[in-house]
Amino acid sequence: MKRNAFFLMIMALATMGLLAFVATPQQGQKAGEPWDIPEEYKNMDNPYADDASLDRLGRGNYARHCRSCHGRNGEGDGPMAAQLNTFPGDFTDSEWQKKYNDGEIYYMSIIGRDEMPNFESTIPDKEERWAIVNHIRSLEK
Amino acid sequence: MNRLFCIFLVLNILILPVRAQDEDPGDRPVRAPFESGIIIDNQTTVVPMARTLEYNIQHKFSPMDNGLSDLFGIYSPGANMRMHFSYVPLKNLQVGYGLSLHKMFSDFSAKYTLLEQTRNDRIPVAVGLYGNMAIDGRHKDAFGQGYDFLNRLAYFSQVIVGRKFSDRISVQANGSFTHYNATPEGYDRDRVSVGVNGRINLTFQSSILLQYDRPLFIEGLTEYREEDRQELSRPNLGIGWEIRTSSHVFHINITSTKGMIPQENAMFNTYDFTDGELMFGFSMIRLWNF
Repeated sequence: MKRNAFFLMIMALATMGLLAFVATPQQGQKAGEPWDIPEEYKNMDNPYADDASLDRLGRGNYARHCRSCHGRNGEGDGPMAAQLNTFPGDFTDSEWQKKYNDGEIYYMSIIGRDEMPNFESTIPDKEERWAIVNHIRSLEK
Repeated sequence: MNRLFCIFLVLNILILPVRAQDEDPGDRPVRAPFESGIIIDNQTTVVPMARTLEYNIQHKFSPMDNGLSDLFGIYSPGANMRMHFSYVPLKNLQVGYGLSLHKMFSDFSAKYTLLEQTRNDRIPVAVGLYGNMAIDGRHKDAFGQGYDFLNRLAYFSQVIVGRKFSDRISVQANGSFTHYNATPEGYDRDRVSVGVNGRINLTFQSSILLQYDRPLFIEGLTEYREEDRQELSRPNLGIGWEIRTSSHVFHINITSTKGMIPQENAMFNTYDFTDGELMFGFSMIRLWNF
């Protein structure tokens, strides 16, 4: 009897663990509304596109500013993601990557809206901002 | 003492013209030689961007030499705490105000980054100046006979020279001058100290921090004969782990001083790290940009 109870407990824990990895978006989270991005950003060119020297900077800034919600690999599964009302998006999704150009990703990442914070004053350096955009681009699977 | 003030003044005058040179747009300052203005007990050359408010809560427990009986000092009474606010009104200038538990200190501070290391090494080091004035807030009986408000004041000034050697390693050296308007019998009122500290990045969000500060005995500054003089303040050895997020910096550290303001550590530290007199501490730094 005791052995069965122990086995059931292990199975329950394992199931919960699996669900934590599989279930995205989190229960109760809504998908994000379409972004209203100004033309200025839609037409903005990335001056650092394909600049490999910014890879480390982009990874570092992503880890510091973005990873807690967006997750290590950009799947929207960071430790803070569960507290959000809106699913933070899946950057690994090639459909998502095709949908937005670099200027639009810049706007969504730096200007933000609602639960997505504004990073204009936290990340004042343009180079650092574009390094994050480049890193988000590199997350596509 | 006057001679030392003159040295600091001359240093400022020599360095300021270099600061005034036109900045080469292609040779910008290096990125984040340190993540905040503080490295364990010391200041870094870093001043956050203009209009940043920094709130710092520092805590030090008691020495850990009692072992498990008081969980390495964590359960022991006598911890020291400090709350500190600072603001950056202008680029490279930070002003602050802090409150410490020990001796009920209020401290007013200012830091200015005179030079920033540049990426192309046109300026190979960063140079910062830090100074504070602390007011001992205890009851006047603590100051003995002949009480005067000025006896509460203690000053600290420091020149910091730092270099970021790579994305992983940044190192600083400093020279400091401490002056107390009044000290207990046997303690000098002036002290010169030197120190070295640095950071080793482990990951994008965590680093190891190291510090060593050593007060110096200078014959010309002492006011007592050897037999009447108290022992020189002990060196401050510290090691810490820094964790940073988008708007916070956390330090968990082990140090050999309990003081929260640098002049206390330079003048009155009795803890000897060679005897295992070390204590746990932590700092929580929150940054807001406006």
